[in-house]
Amino acid sequence: MKTVLKPHQVVAKIFKWFYIVFFLVFMLAPLLWLILTSFKTNIEFDTANALALPKVWQFRNYANALSLSNLPRMFLNSLIVAALTTVLNVIVSAMASFVIAREKFRGSNLILNILLAGVLVPIIALMVPYLKINMKLGIMDTLWALIITYSAINIPTSIFLIHGFMQALPKALEEAAIIDGCSFPQRFTRIILPLSTPGIVTAATLVFIYCWNEFTYAMILTISESCRTIQLGIRYFQTQFVVDNTGMMAAIVITMLPTIIVYIFLHNKIISGMTAGAVKG
Amino acid sequence: MKKLALVFALVALTMAMVFAGGSAETAAEKEIEIKFVTWWVGADTKAGAIQELVDEFNANHVGKIKVTIEGTADADGLANSISTQIAAGNPPDVFCWGPTVAGFENYDGNLFMDFTEDLKGEWSECFADGILDQATYHGMTKSLPYDMAYTPIWYNTNILKEAGVEKLPETMDEFWDMCDKVKAAGYYPTAQMTGGNNAWTSMLWYTFLCGSIGGPAIFDNFEQEFPTNPVFVQAAEILQRMYLEYTHNDAIGGDAGVAGGYYLAGKTAAFINGPWYIGRVKNEAPEVFEATEMGFFPTINNEKIMVCSTLTNLAAANQKDPAKRAAVIEFLKWLTTAENAKKVAESSGAVLAVKFDASGNDNRLTAQVNDIINGSKGFVNYWQFYVAADMQLEFGQALAAMGAGKITPAEFVAQISSLF
Amino acid sequence: MKTKKQSNVIWILIFLAPAIALFSLFFIYPIGMVVGTSLTDWRNSVGMNFIGLENYIKFFQNANFRTALGNNIIWALSLGIFQIGMATAMACILARRPKGWTVYRTVYFLPSVISGAALSMMWKAIYNAQHGVLNAFLNTIGLSDLAHNWLGEMETALPAVIISQIFYIGYFMVIILASRVGIDDNYYEAAMIDGANVWQQERFITLPLLKPILITTVTLALAYGLRHFEATYLMTTGGPNHATETMGTFLYTKLKASKWAEANAIGTIIIITGGLAISGIRSLLSRNMDVE
Repeated sequence: MKTVLKPHQVVAKIFKWFYIVFFLVFMLAPLLWLILTSFKTNIEFDTANALALPKVWQFRNYANALSLSNLPRMFLNSLIVAALTTVLNVIVSAMASFVIAREKFRGSNLILNILLAGVLVPIIALMVPYLKINMKLGIMDTLWALIITYSAINIPTSIFLIHGFMQALPKALEEAAIIDGCSFPQRFTRIILPLSTPGIVTAATLVFIYCWNEFTYAMILTISESCRTIQLGIRYFQTQFVVDNTGMMAAIVITMLPTIIVYIFLHNKIISGMTAGAVKG
Repeated sequence: MKKLALVFALVALTMAMVFAGGSAETAAEKEIEIKFVTWWVGADTKAGAIQELVDEFNANHVGKIKVTIEGTADADGLANSISTQIAAGNPPDVFCWGPTVAGFENYDGNLFMDFTEDLKGEWSECFADGILDQATYHGMTKSLPYDMAYTPIWYNTNILKEAGVEKLPETMDEFWDMCDKVKAAGYYPTAQMTGGNNAWTSMLWYTFLCGSIGGPAIFDNFEQEFPTNPVFVQAAEILQRMYLEYTHNDAIGGDAGVAGGYYLAGKTAAFINGPWYIGRVKNEAPEVFEATEMGFFPTINNEKIMVCSTLTNLAAANQKDPAKRAAVIEFLKWLTTAENAKKVAESSGAVLAVKFDASGNDNRLTAQVNDIINGSKGFVNYWQFYVAADMQLEFGQALAAMGAGKITPAEFVAQISSLF
Repeated sequence: MKTKKQSNVIWILIFLAPAIALFSLFFIYPIGMVVGTSLTDWRNSVGMNFIGLENYIKFFQNANFRTALGNNIIWALSLGIFQIGMATAMACILARRPKGWTVYRTVYFLPSVISGAALSMMWKAIYNAQHGVLNAFLNTIGLSDLAHNWLGEMETALPAVIISQIFYIGYFMVIILASRVGIDDNYYEAAMIDGANVWQQERFITLPLLKPILITTVTLALAYGLRHFEATYLMTTGGPNHATETMGTFLYTKLKASKWAEANAIGTIIIITGGLAISGIRSLLSRNMDVE
């Protein structure tokens, strides 16, 4: 069914492809440049044309980055923190979302609004209290400090997503379940929870990404080498008064690489998780 | 997807168990544990020597004291983490601490270990003459000067020769003459920066200017003098001229990587940084290393002024348990023996507050730095020692405006003073 | 029935308890502490004295703080209008499944999985006047007149930082796209038969149906704009001469100086302005869109 395009359709088509390509370039070109530059020496970075290829590919930058920082350990720590936080946060948020979305009780709206207002809070302002809380809980400088703190920080966003999804499910579902004699927790575990999986996956994905990339609190709540996460590795090349630019770029690439590899393999699951959520809703 | 999540969760849970188990085990041991939180780790030039000293200390105290080094080379981030811990009332056992006049307020509380009594004995003789005074506030010494910032002027003599400058400038007129010739030869006369947390290199230029115009005592009564004393505006005028005529265009907004990068790349004739930078130049830019001569700051009203500050002090948390307190003191004494300080200084190129016999040093530039220190007629603390971190940052902010010619030197001083 | 209700109440409490407990511990208590101590002169580790609203008065009299507040509003609008606008447009384009659309979607979302700190440091290098790739590119294509010291000039610094962020549309685009592909194709087929062009279809079918998700994303974007901190801090530390200052960077500067009370006063201001701005804009948006 080939039809001749009208002029305005041609314009629209050109615009469309320009738009698509522009964003592709914007997302990828800087990353490619970063990778390219991470193979240069600092002198080359300071003097040569930024677009030029490295004169000699400096794998040394990578060797340095790997030998200096305890990267496998940091990687493992990040994985543990992100996985446990995601599980904890999603369970807690889903339970709360369930009662708020499906049980209209007095004050439910108020509770929801208070929880959601948490999205606005500049978390950075809470450094001192967070440190105090973690010390009181006796978990300061352990991975649990990060797990508990990240879980709490992400409650507003997760409830925001999961609640919105649960609210959109038809009321009739539960009414039928009550008639069938489902108890309260059964309604949650057997009916609402399975139906909300897409929304929960969305929330879980975002929490996982947040944990993986978080820097400020990882810095403040952990001191020991044994519980440092991968983002702290980037700063390995910024010592007092000396910045090793290309070394730092190599470190950035190294910290990004696992994320990108996982993303390449799981991107369909990650994105379709987010997409599927709304298809059904 | 579900299975995947389950596997993830299980793996993670097992890991967490392992962790919990691990920490429980260490808690059962009886020896005194000291956590030493420092930025002398990883890529830092002192990392190796410090690690060796700690290992040796632990070997000498097996079963009694165990020091573990914690931290990251990112001094800025770590300093922030430490000050948060102090604010929360729980400083680390032993830690690196960048002293400022504002920070000395912490001495008034009881979170820092007080060394005043311990220093009355022979321990104080380890330290360079008078240096402990720089760490004393309200009669208390609650931190120990360790790493020093002596920052000479670095000249690239290849550029000077090419520009036809025969000797290092000794007066400001000679300095401007050098700037003109270097500029004409196609190089940048000075390296500057307004970025980072403190505009480091330019802050050092400014410190030299203040000291050279106003003399070694210029920073006494800083809070009263700074807004009113015309010396600070005169110094700002000269700094502004350097920005407007004699530096690279990305000095404004540039950080230490930018300013240092110009020197390493052999594009700039004069630069300021501490001796810890020598190793970096030697490794990354051997030609520049060969061409480098250390010089005095040109004379304005005062001759041979040198910047000298306590850069990093060692501090410790106040301990109720006398045994732990004694262990901490023992460790600090270990770090500050002449022999051990020498190891740290020689492997890193740093100058320390601890006295030791520096003879036999074969590094030409380190020797030059020592000559300059010994030949100096007066010392000034660097400017940022007198202000809190927000004012250190404001210096760079105001300098960006002044360096671009948007505000006058008087306005520059007024803008910074508004934070008092 | 009564007993059922009672047991429901117990279950409701049980289900809410963990979330409320964590939220109270990590939001309500800290905010209470932040607001409370913002009325004192707490700094370093010395004790605090009550000084009333002095910190707040000081900040509102401070021109740099007002710049920061203004910049936050610019950020909020840039993200809330331009970023969401571009994300919506892209979602509409991809929803029609052009060739290779899943690849594009994957690429656009990619920056969302990379840490903001890494991206900011990358952009800092890109914008550098001397060895940054942007100026090198402009010189190569013969536009060297356009080369700037992007992050060092007061006129270009704020736009430069904003531009480095707002084109990362992937996060919002995926959320909006999810809603967009959920719209029944029959609507569009019917409209096509009625002779509506693509633009009209998107304008009169998609936009009204996307209203809920747009309100959601705009709210999130505004919140991110009002508490913006990381990219600016890492790229310019709020400079040159406060041109890119935001309330977040201002707060962080005070934290670094261990001026806890002043930092907490700014934190309180961020929370309050955020709350006011967002509830205002939400009610405005939902009303306007109801009219359509």
